[in-house]
Amino acid sequence: MAVVSIKNKLRRGNLLVGNEAYDPGGFVPIATVTVGSGGASTVEFTSIPSTYTHLQVRCFVQTNRGTYGVDSMRLGVNADTSSSYAYHYLRGSGSSVVGASSTSLTTITEISTVGCGTTTGGTFGVSIIDIFDYANTNKYKTFRNLNGTDINGTIASVGGFISLVSALWMKTDAITSLKFTPDSGTAFTNYSHFALYGIKAAS
Amino acid sequence: MPLTYFKIATTTVGSGGASTIEFTSIPSTYTDLVVLISARSTGVDPNIMIRFNSSSSNFSQKRLISDGSSVVSAGTYGEWSAWATLSTDTASTFGNSLIYVSNYGSSNYKSLSSDATGENNATANNMTLGAELWSNTAAITSVSFVMGSSYNFAQHSTATL
Repeated sequence: MAVVSIKNKLRRGNLLVGNEAYDPGGFVPIATVTVGSGGASTVEFTSIPSTYTHLQVRCFVQTNRGTYGVDSMRLGVNADTSSSYAYHYLRGSGSSVVGASSTSLTTITEISTVGCGTTTGGTFGVSIIDIFDYANTNKYKTFRNLNGTDINGTIASVGGFISLVSALWMKTDAITSLKFTPDSGTAFTNYSHFALYGIKAAS
Repeated sequence: MPLTYFKIATTTVGSGGASTIEFTSIPSTYTDLVVLISARSTGVDPNIMIRFNSSSSNFSQKRLISDGSSVVSAGTYGEWSAWATLSTDTASTFGNSLIYVSNYGSSNYKSLSSDATGENNATANNMTLGAELWSNTAAITSVSFVMGSSYNFAQHSTATL
């Protein structure tokens, strides 16, 4: 027996014998973190299973940085702090566009721009970070991130950014943990949200 | 707006490389298609060309492109859609591209968007945001990719549909 939701116009089969098998899809939530009222100096996903093909992180982030309206976020992998990271970005500010890079870093120092709660209140940055073949030990790991922050005006001459970021971790190890930290701020603020998804291989 | 994503197929390039990555007999039961490509070229051309139903004709595009320091906006004709790393880039490093194909089964022209990056532990690196059009009304039943300048996809390159 199928159920039709009038409200959402969705049709779903139940799990009774005789019905079509339920396929949850290839995009699977692994873990989520929502920062509480006390803030968090880091957000970390640990013990990431190796059973997926790719990973994706979707996040909605703000830090407690003062003076400015936009901060950056750092990303480290497997607690590695050696000089094994690099990044490049293509970034627009609403009036200009730039390409930039940095290499031989101890963390990905600009994986994303984020909002600043101290100066902008409810403004958050949003990011979707893809990590392909994260458990493939033949490859260095690459990260591709489309992200943006807008603060509806400017603070210290900055009003936000839209960015395509590419980053590199020069290790072939499978990724088992991801650690996010604010760049200039000291903590992620209340309601910042990070969600980790796994993308299954074709069966 | 898709309810979720479903895995259709994955290809991993074996030793010796591959000139083409191809997904055939794509079912018509979905709304949109997404292709994720992790690729490295066996040569020094980073361009990955997309083809629908084996056709390389009637593609056009607008792109925002960075080489790691300068940025250009370009409008071109052709079926270029993604980036690979070069054989001269940092070893064991693969490009990282996402291609979104809307309404692939419709009888309208097909619109694509892509965000694609190479990667390299050096200043030089290719990145792009692209909007692309295939001016053809046929439903898409196969998607294939070939490396620019007739180079091959290097071993361990992958594509997921």
